Amino acid sequence: MYLVANIDSEICGKTKCTLCTQYCPEANTIQYDKIRNTAFVSVDRCKGCMQCVWVCDTLAKHHAIKMVMIDQLPKEQLRTALDMHYESSNLLKDSKINLPHAELVGK
Amino acid sequence: MSLDYVKVSPGFEKYIAKEYRDFVEHGPFGKKVSVSQVGTFKEALEEHPMCAGCAMTLFIRLAIIAFPNPEDTITVGTAGCGRLAISQAMIPFVYGNYGDTNAVASGLKRGLMTRFPDKYKDVVVMAGDGGLADIGFSMMMHSWFRREKFTTIMLDNEVYGNTGGQESGMTTRGAVLKMAPLGKKFDKIDMPQLAKTAGCVYVATVVPNNPRRVESVIKKAVLIAREVGPTYIQAYTSCNIEYAIPTDKVMEDANNVEKDRYQFQEYITDEAKQYLADKWGYSEYKKKEIPGEVKA
Ligand SMILES: Cc1ncc(C[n+]2csc(CCOP(=O)(O)OP(=O)(O)O)c2C)c(N)n1
Ligand code: SF4
Ligand code: SF4
Ligand code: SF4
Repeated sequence: MYLVANIDSEICGKTKCTLCTQYCPEANTIQYDKIRNTAFVSVDRCKGCMQCVWVCDTLAKHHAIKMVMIDQLPKEQLRTALDMHYESSNLLKDSKINLPHAELVGK
Repeated sequence: MSLDYVKVSPGFEKYIAKEYRDFVEHGPFGKKVSVSQVGTFKEALEEHPMCAGCAMTLFIRLAIIAFPNPEDTITVGTAGCGRLAISQAMIPFVYGNYGDTNAVASGLKRGLMTRFPDKYKDVVVMAGDGGLADIGFSMMMHSWFRREKFTTIMLDNEVYGNTGGQESGMTTRGAVLKMAPLGKKFDKIDMPQLAKTAGCVYVATVVPNNPRRVESVIKKAVLIAREVGPTYIQAYTSCNIEYAIPTDKVMEDANNVEKDRYQFQEYITDEAKQYLADKWGYSEYKKKEIPGEVKA
């Protein structure tokens, strides 16, 4: 098992911040849901480097990102992240997103 | 290319490759995207095997977002870490032999100008400090002397990262590395100065702790290289493996190194300024500055 970044959309959604999306070294990994105004992590691409944690804690000062073992991701959070993938207006609309943990939430 | 290039007969859209349609419908093809919109569009860069948290990865990611016309761009790289990512983008990538990048890019750009005289086709070299400052040094310098119209970007991690930590000409004096245990005996090469002397019309040094700035210098460098002359960007892209930087401290290191030896510097000739202003609407270069004149 390995650590991935997990964004608390309760906290992030209250800010107008998008900072970590610009600092994650990996492409197409921290995405932004324009409907809920929150960043979210495509955990299948996350390499667990924690740069986003530094950015959110130190630059943005919102403390919305925590590292979580991939099999310990809160189910509710995961469901929201999956829903965001499918609903997010302009993003990957009709892509079949193949999340490795999809079976965890029965999608 | 955007769907402006590939004309699809009505009803046949679904037979166009999914990836390609994604880049047109949700990605950067055929439209302008910017770093400030990142996360809401599909980036041209894909998954790749570079190390977790590598600043070079972040820089490459930002650079590819910044390309003014990704669908009309060809990247040239070589041995070294960067090509592991640069080659994994929806942008044609040419692998020059180690040291050959700027010779390959020269031929490529001239060929493109002959084949597509009425279109801009951008050629961008992205290679390591070893690839450009050491083995590729003469070919890089000569491409500049010849005023070849493409952009050279040095991914300067101050080490041979891909081969386990030998010193390069861009390593700082005194640095001790795994395969340079006695410490570097000479100073870091002043490549920005050499670039100016050799005829580059735009030279910038950046650190990826400021994504918007990376975007801005890449855009300018690529646009200027279309018609004015060679452009050079040198980016500090730390190697967290060889310099043992914890991945969550990479940006702190970038801030420190920026203060120490990598201040943002931008050199641009008057001709290049005027070109950006007249052709691409850069307002900051529009007014003619008269030295000594103080505006109230
Ligand atoms: C002609 C030739 N000599 C040596 C090598 C071995 N080699 C591969 S990568 C590399 C070092 C790359 O260092 P640098 O250009 O600084 O890029 P980095 O990996 O640090 O990004 C070397 C020496 C090679 N591929 N070709
Ligand atoms: S840095 Fe923090 S608050 Fe800002 S977008 Fe990212 S998770 Fe949200
Ligand atoms: S841990 Fe690293 S790879 Fe994962 S989302 Fe954060 S910055 Fe990106
Ligand atoms: S070896 Fe260094 S430069 Fe190469 S990918 Fe890893 S951290 Fe980046």
